[in-house]
Amino acid sequence: MAVSCCGRLLRSVRGAAAVSLLRPLPRCLSSQSSSLQPSYVPKTSLSEPPWPEIKLPDPIVETEEHKELVQKVNSLIAAGQHGRLFAVVHFASKQWKVTNEDLVLINGIVDAECGDRIRLEKVLLLGSDNFTLVGRPLLGKDLVRVEATVIEKTESYPKINMKFWRRHRYQKKKITIFPQTILRINTIEIAPALS
Amino acid sequence: MTARGTPSRFLQSVLHNGVGRYVCQLKRLTLVFSKDAQPSRGAREYIEEKVVDFAKQNPGIVVYISPKPCRVPKLVGEYLNGSVREEDINSKTAEEIAQLIQKMANQSGLDIIRIRKPYHTDNPSIQGQWHLFTNKPTSLNLQSFGGASQHTDSP
Repeated sequence: MAVSCCGRLLRSVRGAAAVSLLRPLPRCLSSQSSSLQPSYVPKTSLSEPPWPEIKLPDPIVETEEHKELVQKVNSLIAAGQHGRLFAVVHFASKQWKVTNEDLVLINGIVDAECGDRIRLEKVLLLGSDNFTLVGRPLLGKDLVRVEATVIEKTESYPKINMKFWRRHRYQKKKITIFPQTILRINTIEIAPALS
Repeated sequence: MTARGTPSRFLQSVLHNGVGRYVCQLKRLTLVFSKDAQPSRGAREYIEEKVVDFAKQNPGIVVYISPKPCRVPKLVGEYLNGSVREEDINSKTAEEIAQLIQKMANQSGLDIIRIRKPYHTDNPSIQGQWHLFTNKPTSLNLQSFGGASQHTDSP
């Protein structure tokens, strides 16, 4: 999983890590090779990409910085100094940004009774005040634990689907009611198992 | 047909239900039925077969059975937030009545109207609101002016 920090604490390390993770490798290589070889195409505004050439940091330095960053984040988590956490979870084919004590309304039936505690396992992202863990695409089950309680299984308000053609004596009225479920997010926990 | 004109509310729960533990919001359930009328046949069947089991499974709900001569048997549910919901159960089978009671027990007693957003949070932002300079290097703040640097040098 990728790590990026947005606090004052870890800002210096963050820039290098983020650049290396976001930029795909092959494109950079190709741009370097083209600049090295003598080209037969005359130099115009289109012969080179419009963005300035990106210089990647040294991979050895980068791995050291990454290690240091992971260590810092792990120590933050172990000390419990991460403050309030938020997570992006995938549930009922939607992505929800949740934190503790949130309410989430789901259109449809959740196969759990009222009062049951469920675990939301598809965690895409976890954020705290000082760092963010981004899953590729998901974060590990042993790393993050998001739990929720089913507090209500109810029905939507009657939705009216009306069709009316004027001067044609045509009208149809259909009233639909959908089942709905309300979840309460109880805990977002994180273990210091970042690697 | 648009729903803009219909009454609406935001997503909410009664007294932070579920933060510590979950509390069933239905507190009282009254079954009004007739002992001999035809539309109450399903209600009588439900009372004979299932009502004791339901009351045992849900000790938090008080179930009243009130036989009185009536055409339309009714279910009256009272919730912890004070709202009262009435449902007619004429010509319904015992199975349908059981489902209806289960649905009433699962609800919270809040109004069933259009809900504006499918989420509610008390902490909308943890890392702070995004602005133009979020995650940008702080060196962007520095601006060098030729005249200003000379001015600062002189004193």
